[in-house]
Amino acid sequence: MKLHSNPWLRTAYARLWVRAKSIYGEPLWVAVNIGFPFFTSFSLTMVYRAYGLNSFTGFAILGGVMISFWGNVLWSMASQFNWDKQVGLFEIYITSPAPISAILVGMSLGGILGTAPSAAMVAILGWLIFHPPINAIWPAVISVFALTLASLYAMGMALSSLYLAYGREADSVNEALHEPVSLISGVYFPSTGGFSPFPLAVQAGASLIPLTLGMDALRRTLFFGQGFGELYLDLELLALAIMGVILLFASSKALMFLENKGRRTGTIAVRQR
Amino acid sequence: MSLRAMVASIRVGWYREFNWTNPLTGFSLRTVGPLASVIAASTVYYVGSTNNVPPSFEPSRLAYILIGAALYAHVAAYSWVPTLAIAEGKWTYVFPQVYMSPHSSLPYLIGRTLASFVTSTMTVIVSLVLSFYVLSSVFHTNIPFMVNPLSVSLLFLAMLVNILAALGLGLLLSAYALFATKFEWALPTYVAGLLMVFSEALFPVSFLPWPLSAIANVLPFTEFMRASRQAMIQGGTVYSYFSYLGLAVLGGIVVLALGFLAFRYAENRARRLGVIDKKTA
Amino acid sequence: MLDQRLNDARKVPEDQPGLRNVMNRVDAEITVQVDGLRREFDSKEGKIVALDGINLQVRKGEIFGVLGPNGAGKTTMIRILSTLLLPTAGKAGVMGFDVEKEPEKIRAVINMASGAERAGYDFISARGNLWFFSQLYGIPTEEAHRRINELSDMLGLQSYLDRKFYALSTGYKQRVTLVRAFINDPKVVFLDEPTIGLDVMTALSIREYILKQAKEYGRTIILATHNMAEVDAICNRVAIIDKGKILACDTPAALKRSLGAPSLILEVSPIPTPGSLEPIGKLEGVKGFTSSVDEERGLSRIQVVIDGDGSAQSVVDSIRKSGMTVVSNWRQQATLEEVFVALVGRGFREREHEAA
Repeated sequence: MKLHSNPWLRTAYARLWVRAKSIYGEPLWVAVNIGFPFFTSFSLTMVYRAYGLNSFTGFAILGGVMISFWGNVLWSMASQFNWDKQVGLFEIYITSPAPISAILVGMSLGGILGTAPSAAMVAILGWLIFHPPINAIWPAVISVFALTLASLYAMGMALSSLYLAYGREADSVNEALHEPVSLISGVYFPSTGGFSPFPLAVQAGASLIPLTLGMDALRRTLFFGQGFGELYLDLELLALAIMGVILLFASSKALMFLENKGRRTGTIAVRQR
Repeated sequence: MSLRAMVASIRVGWYREFNWTNPLTGFSLRTVGPLASVIAASTVYYVGSTNNVPPSFEPSRLAYILIGAALYAHVAAYSWVPTLAIAEGKWTYVFPQVYMSPHSSLPYLIGRTLASFVTSTMTVIVSLVLSFYVLSSVFHTNIPFMVNPLSVSLLFLAMLVNILAALGLGLLLSAYALFATKFEWALPTYVAGLLMVFSEALFPVSFLPWPLSAIANVLPFTEFMRASRQAMIQGGTVYSYFSYLGLAVLGGIVVLALGFLAFRYAENRARRLGVIDKKTA
Repeated sequence: MLDQRLNDARKVPEDQPGLRNVMNRVDAEITVQVDGLRREFDSKEGKIVALDGINLQVRKGEIFGVLGPNGAGKTTMIRILSTLLLPTAGKAGVMGFDVEKEPEKIRAVINMASGAERAGYDFISARGNLWFFSQLYGIPTEEAHRRINELSDMLGLQSYLDRKFYALSTGYKQRVTLVRAFINDPKVVFLDEPTIGLDVMTALSIREYILKQAKEYGRTIILATHNMAEVDAICNRVAIIDKGKILACDTPAALKRSLGAPSLILEVSPIPTPGSLEPIGKLEGVKGFTSSVDEERGLSRIQVVIDGDGSAQSVVDSIRKSGMTVVSNWRQQATLEEVFVALVGRGFREREHEAA
């Protein structure tokens, strides 16, 4: 099928292009994006190292990599439509025949592509500086990583529809969500399973966030040599896949609902600035 | 320097701090992030040390990280407010108007910083208290904090002294923001990250390789962290506290002086380049 | 010179008699149909009626002006027709499709732009932005670039296409917006205050562009504005709207002709106190009036729409009776603002003050 014959693919590609081009067109963006994840990851790796906990240093480096994507999901997916609404882009999307799902998918893929260089730099620098102990089954690592990103960005799509209902508070909500989610989903330490210091109820709640399962599965495959066929890992992957599908479905329904509600109440095109 | 302008700026800063929502919502949203990051940093140590072979958990280290993470969040929150005020102000055209009014740009930036200092002090108190209780109960451990009128007063004194260095850093960053026509957030973000590494927030800077450890050792922020720990963690002494505080004052004055100089230079240069009222991308 | 070009552009070219038919014939295809359209909004003070039973028909190739003060209901009407808002009651259709039930079909054949909008991705070039918007309509890349070049040429944007969006001035960002509004070869385009805040020359070139789009490509353009000169310059027909109701709908010339006598302008001194001019509105033969203050000269200018020469003297007498001196007075050919004054009894500015 040729690209131009499919408007959905065309729209998704164009949205991907805009996002990736915005970042790659300004190489400084990559440097800017590395900053905070790298230094946070560096500091927490130093916590492990300074107190003689060398075998765990990889957790903090992996955390730095994944926090880049979580930040991207929050700031450039979840609140993106809210910002688009403020500058008048959202009404252009709505008044065009383009499917909103294509815009969301394009935005996600563009976000992954745009975040990849900074995430990779965090990984490379972390590895070069700290040489964390790695015991990886690479095909499993790659599959888990891809599945984690897919369901993480599906969560971003679902959040984007929720954020549309918010006004000016979106920035504050982002700030308020960023750290708590990274805490509870165990970005820098295992928040579920045998290593977790959290009560079971908290662990169960945390497992509803795709990042939690994704981080745990990544640690298993990257540092503990687990691969497909390990029951717990397989269950985590299945749960991640189911979550991704549910979130995709929920986001599409929620957006449709909000579009109709916006048309009824007149809030689709209300700019806040 | 206009006191009236500074008071008005504190008022505006107060509303901005809560993102123009009501204070309760604004405060809750502002506090939940720092609280989570304090708990996360402490948990990193707890998980590592209790699962280590053999286990090596020490409550005093947990207290060390808890205090450092909370105070780091405090400094990081308000030291970049001048940059925020300029970058946002260029976009809304508030900053050029402030700049054009007589002798108002510095009182404006200082006022905004002080407003942020007040709110982030409230945030750090709530973070410290809540994380202390959460971590004590979840980890079933006694965190060796020293909480009495003297120790709390000494902590506040250290926080007040640290305004010198934080404001100086804020002015240094805002000197950059005056020039910036894009990526105005880049430098403050980097500096906030560097501060986490170099201010002894989470680990002793002696673990950094030379000369990085030497640089970290002379920063007033590092002395502020050390003084605060002397005040709040059992085993600290008043003598050590005042030694560190003295160094924090000296360093703070130097950074503040550098900040003023840089800001004045940047003002003139930005006028020459015509970027004071240039909107950022 | 540009004014002359505008006048020339309004004329239907001799070699396109078909287009003349499209613009003039009452049986040309109806592209926008509105019947009893009503829209209410909830507010703390209760229901606000933004549109109160509007009816209109717009035909292919027409530039249809919707003229009214801020808050009259112009933008609400455009938002309904462009599928962003649902009506509370009544029907509206674009190209034969119902706005309520068939928004997807409408979206494929319309586009819209607002003067308040500066929508674009900052770190992408103007061309990159326009290509992106063209993809929302599924236009093949080669064709998209051909259209971008063609439309940019018309607006003098060609040499700015490779600049990043954030680096463009307000006027050029607005040009990008206007290229975007026509990128999908739309049948109907909704423009909301497209020249607001722009300098005179930019505004003129944009009007010329809009005229060309209607005349050469037979597009229907619905232009919401409170700029009378703009309506006078480019609109085939205009609906005057106030408080959600259409007060009159005709060609600008016919509306002005409908006033009959030229209006009366008086300069009075001292500046009247609030309410002291109210008696003028009640005089027989006076359709309405509007006033403005000239602080520098210490006088007030009153513009009175009258239905015959006989009423002029009674206006002058009334002003004198109120203790003011008529410094000078003259008659002036009617403008669209006077049409509005005649219909509402107040000018745009007074109406907006009342609404506030």
